[in-house]
Amino acid sequence: MTPPTAAPPRTFDPSAAPTVPAARVTGDDRPRVDLLTADVMLPAGGSWMIPAPAEALAEHAARFGRLPSGAVGLLEAVEDAGLTGHGGGHVPVAAKWRRTLAGRGRLTVVANGAESEPWSAKDAVLLRLHPHLVLDGLALTAQALGAARAVVWLHDEEEPATVRAVTDALRERTRHGDCGPVVEVLVGPAHYLSGESSAVAQAVAGRRALPTARRPRPAGAPRTLVHNVETLARVALVARGPAAATRLLTVVGPAGRLVTEVERGSSLLDAMLAAGWRQGAGRPEGVLLGGYGGTWVSWADAARGSIDPGDPVGRLLGAGIVAPLARGACPVEATARIVEYLAGAGAGQCGPCVFGLPAIAASVRRLADGRPARAEVPRLTADLDAVAGRGACHHPDGVVGLVRSMRAVFGEHVAAHERGAGCWTEKGGL
Amino acid sequence: MATLRVDMVACEGIGQCALVAPGLVELDRWGFPVLLEVGAPSGPGGQAGRSGRSARERDAAARRAVRACPRRALWLEEAAHRPDVSAMYRIQVPGA
Repeated sequence: MTPPTAAPPRTFDPSAAPTVPAARVTGDDRPRVDLLTADVMLPAGGSWMIPAPAEALAEHAARFGRLPSGAVGLLEAVEDAGLTGHGGGHVPVAAKWRRTLAGRGRLTVVANGAESEPWSAKDAVLLRLHPHLVLDGLALTAQALGAARAVVWLHDEEEPATVRAVTDALRERTRHGDCGPVVEVLVGPAHYLSGESSAVAQAVAGRRALPTARRPRPAGAPRTLVHNVETLARVALVARGPAAATRLLTVVGPAGRLVTEVERGSSLLDAMLAAGWRQGAGRPEGVLLGGYGGTWVSWADAARGSIDPGDPVGRLLGAGIVAPLARGACPVEATARIVEYLAGAGAGQCGPCVFGLPAIAASVRRLADGRPARAEVPRLTADLDAVAGRGACHHPDGVVGLVRSMRAVFGEHVAAHERGAGCWTEKGGL
Repeated sequence: MATLRVDMVACEGIGQCALVAPGLVELDRWGFPVLLEVGAPSGPGGQAGRSGRSARERDAAARRAVRACPRRALWLEEAAHRPDVSAMYRIQVPGA
């Protein structure tokens, strides 16, 4: 399976100098602590160079204050802050902690930095620039819940800059007298599903990093709590007092990907304009929110939307991924490439996914090429219904949501492909 | 009432479940089980068991299906024990 050209190559190019816009001015007087000190632009063409070295422990302590000792009341603080997960599911953190505390098996807390969505870069940027904030959050969570193990789970990279940033930060903490839990760094395979939480739980227990069904377990079974690294960074902020309600986004732009931190209520349009998109005649055809297994929305809906997870558009952002489709690009072709990638990226475990996704990918490919088979669309509809909700994980559901939203948002366009009438846009993906 | 559940990772599409519990389990076009009980994941025709049998008969059929599976992929679960993941992954398409 050839990945679509949409997947940014993850290679290092130290010669390409990324731009760092000046830190934003917030305009109000209330104390504000941001995760990132500046937006980061990762230029198209493959550079994964992050402009600054990781924040040293001394700088980190100067900016955020020292790690609060003792975690009594952290659950309530997290609950009062309304903290929800930033890995895509928006699950309330306090609810996850309560569920964890209800068990009594040996507990492992995992900081999940395996950023599997090919477009997403916010977790890597956070870990490479501000590893101590994530490690603070991991230590606090592990202490608060009485964990036996604390693990940082990372993707294997060609150039292990994230792994290096985390291990360097851990060594630095040891040199300065770290009284937190011993942290293990585990580097897993870089496949699409290795960041899925049940796959992570398998991996930290020494098994293969593949999703599993959530079957009933005996009361004393080992427990694993998996949090996205941004979520843990926010736990570290909440533990220090009131924190700004912001969200990290990766916005795919014409010139590269912008990793930006935005206020939760701010407009999605502003973030897209900051990444270099334009309104008016040259506006994008539509916007894919949430990454490969995400949801298409029209430009008009996206431009009206807010970042807030409670907003109908904001809740679709998943792990904070915004990917506008350039004017003149074909949404059916773009969808076909992504579905082909996802069909090849499954774990190969569940029948409906193993057989259904290639069938769906083939249907969308025939539509994209303007060569639909007889009754192509009814067959596609039946296949989507047949795989929805039937995997052990939500991988097939991502494909279903992507294809259904393509039909909802680009209905006229899809109909032209269905008639074999060809496509009025240039052929090309995202 | 207990709900019949399937572990799709363990399931190999052998189809014994559909044989011993027709009306409760159907096979999709690839031979994998679609559970037709209320609360089962949605699938083709996946509303209520359409046979109109009593709850007792349905439970007996569900237990037969659990026992019949050579891969031990099926189990019965009390509704209260099921983690509610629906709220976390609900997909809503604006303008759809």
